[in-house]
Amino acid sequence: MPPPKAAKGEYIETDTGNKISRRSQIHGTQHIILGGKTVIQAEAVIRGDLFRTATLPTSTDPNNPSAPAAPNPNTPSVAITVGRYSYISKSAILRPPSRLHRGVHSFYPLKIGDHVFVGEGAVVEAASLGNHVHVGKGAAVGSMAIIKDYAYVLDGAVVPPGMVVPSWCIVGGRPARIVGEVGEGYGVEGAEGGMARERYRVVGRP
Amino acid sequence: MSRPFPYTYISCPCADTPVPDPARKRKSRESPQKSPQKPPPERANTDQGKKLSAKEEQRGEDEDEEQTFDPRSPRSNFSLYPPEQLLYCEECHQIKCPRCITEEIVSWYCPSCLFETPSSMVRSDGNRCGRNCFNCPVCTAPLAVSTIENATGNGPQQGPWVLSCGYCLWTTLDIGIKFDKPTNIRSQLQKMTDSTASGAFDRSRQASRTFGDLKHPLSSYASVDEQSNARERDEEQAGPKEDPAAPPMGPDARFAALKNFYRTQIAETSNSPNDQLSSEFGFSSPGALNRLMSLYTSSSRLSGLYGGSKKPKSKPPVMREALTASEGLQIAPEDEKDMIARLQSPECGWDGMASIDQRATQSPDARFVDDLLPLPVLLRTKRAKRCKSCKHILVKPETKPQSTRFRIRLIALSYIPLPTLRPLALSSSSALPAMAPTPDLNSLPPLRPIHVLLTLKNHMFDPVRITLATPPVTPGHVATKVTVLSPQFEIGANSDVWDEALQGGSAPLTSDSRSAVLRGVPEAGKVWDKGRNWTTVVLEVVPGTLPGSSAEGGDGNPDTETNDEDVLAVAASKQDGDVLEIPVFVHMDWDADAQLDQQNVGKGSKPDDKVTRELAYWMVLGVGRIQASL
Repeated sequence: MPPPKAAKGEYIETDTGNKISRRSQIHGTQHIILGGKTVIQAEAVIRGDLFRTATLPTSTDPNNPSAPAAPNPNTPSVAITVGRYSYISKSAILRPPSRLHRGVHSFYPLKIGDHVFVGEGAVVEAASLGNHVHVGKGAAVGSMAIIKDYAYVLDGAVVPPGMVVPSWCIVGGRPARIVGEVGEGYGVEGAEGGMARERYRVVGRP
Repeated sequence: MSRPFPYTYISCPCADTPVPDPARKRKSRESPQKSPQKPPPERANTDQGKKLSAKEEQRGEDEDEEQTFDPRSPRSNFSLYPPEQLLYCEECHQIKCPRCITEEIVSWYCPSCLFETPSSMVRSDGNRCGRNCFNCPVCTAPLAVSTIENATGNGPQQGPWVLSCGYCLWTTLDIGIKFDKPTNIRSQLQKMTDSTASGAFDRSRQASRTFGDLKHPLSSYASVDEQSNARERDEEQAGPKEDPAAPPMGPDARFAALKNFYRTQIAETSNSPNDQLSSEFGFSSPGALNRLMSLYTSSSRLSGLYGGSKKPKSKPPVMREALTASEGLQIAPEDEKDMIARLQSPECGWDGMASIDQRATQSPDARFVDDLLPLPVLLRTKRAKRCKSCKHILVKPETKPQSTRFRIRLIALSYIPLPTLRPLALSSSSALPAMAPTPDLNSLPPLRPIHVLLTLKNHMFDPVRITLATPPVTPGHVATKVTVLSPQFEIGANSDVWDEALQGGSAPLTSDSRSAVLRGVPEAGKVWDKGRNWTTVVLEVVPGTLPGSSAEGGDGNPDTETNDEDVLAVAASKQDGDVLEIPVFVHMDWDADAQLDQQNVGKGSKPDDKVTRELAYWMVLGVGRIQASL
């Protein structure tokens, strides 16, 4: 068990202001883009190693050598993009989505917008999370799901694979359904949905 | 309460607005609106307090002080809203909750494909997406169109296609449906289900077009498809049309056939001039309206009353009912032995039965899981919101479904100060206040004072004067003492985002912990901290003891287990009786720029075209949960 009080300097602060816990597990860092002022808490798992290997199946395929492969193999493909002021809580898992397309299992990038909150123990495999999205504690967002801006995923919800959650909608349940809408003031700085800056500030303070 | 502690709710004054009745006016808990201008009469019901003269106002205020808002009263449930859900009407100068507004639909869109549906199509599509969006009939998760063939090549993918659920792994193959092309699934499905027997296992594509000549009034979108498949249908039509044992229609087709049948019946049987009514107004029920109307027309009794010739009223022509299956008749099966046998068979079992939830969205005939059909996704709407009393638009979103912008958005947070609540670290015992732990809000020890910081952040471009008031003891079973240490204070004006950025000063709430170290103990009469457009004050809260808790009898009982059980029972019976909620009355006034239409009212207007405005409302601070025992 980790000690209850975090060791001194638990968070590494990068040049762009990201606060990353030393106890987080980040794989494939060269495939991850953090927009700055992002918080990654302890025991969070970010799978940047699951990036798209488009060159591999197409190059081995003799029938079609001129497939739209990655033009330059030197440029690393991006697996996960995270916007500003996003917050990845304790033991959350970010994993790029994958799907079987024409017999080939390949990964797709996971895009996370600004001011996003991912709750404790949540598993996110979405294709994209928009801005100001809230993913509750213990929620699971299925593969290739698209969560639009200002959407709210309730605690423990299971968003099925491929689901699209429109803006301002609250989804919950297993499987998740649209159960309501957030108010018009959602996302105003300092109010519900607009606490990202404040959340960022208090991280890593003594 | 649904939100984690600490939370703040704001009470919309509409809950206490009585029906416009002068006798009850004074009983309102709402603070009188002392705006200098007189409200137009049609607004009188929302802010009736404005009508009071100055003397009455005084009296009204006295009564307000007597009646405090009780967050626990059943009525409060209907007026308490999280701040971000409230709107503000600039005409009425009042907070508007979802109950004080009316909504108008701006656009319909499918929540799955996010395409807008034109309003003309909404009805014909049955409020559902007419494209490829379907929900799983078993678990409601969205269905994906996928191919059965494992096509590894890069050529164009060949069908057949199915809809599959990524959540419960149901596919349309389970009910024997495949699609020829991956587009326009809804009309493909419509054609299959309309033409094949419902409940039949082999939903083959041989469509029996017994009703092919009937126009389907509900499915105008199907016309495209009908044309494209006309030839195919003609070939099929030859066979089963004359077959007397043609398979029964699907429910949609039967409804359409019945509707068509009765429409022709009405057209044939009614020959009175009132017939126009039925066609014009769409009353197509068999002559119900016609008979009603004919009671009052010249041909009927009235003319008889007024001395008209008592010629016998012609009997309304008799309408016949649907007789054949092609007219939509379905004879209920006399013998349901087959179905019962199927229910009992081991391969059906409980899992084979459709649940109530599943059946609720299906046709009434659907009984087994095999009968469930994919559900086209229900459309959602974007809605504009209007003030109920003055009809001004408060919220108007952009029409495009993908857009999150608003043309008009008058949210309350732009007008009333945004309240945020934080517990202050327990500074009593520790030498370093910053290191002191913050109290656990989910178990506040009774009778031990805590301090909470209430920050009010002004979003208006005018400085605001605030007066806070709380009842000294919270209403309800648990008497918690509350003191606002500095009830009167001022909040600075909001400024542009750019000013804030250029000044580069500490953003709000950052300096708090530092200043907490510097400030030490909260003092009465002093604000705790202050920023450009925010002010923090301290509330001293002494949580009361829960009724029946061990704290009342002997403190420090070691055998708390039995007591806890008692307390739990008590708490359960009183339902969140241990939640500490503090009602706070907020009165704010500020000097606003006078609007054009209000300048001539100039009673309270200042020389520089400023009007003093006031707003008052109740707010509820959810501080935490009181511990059962010490």
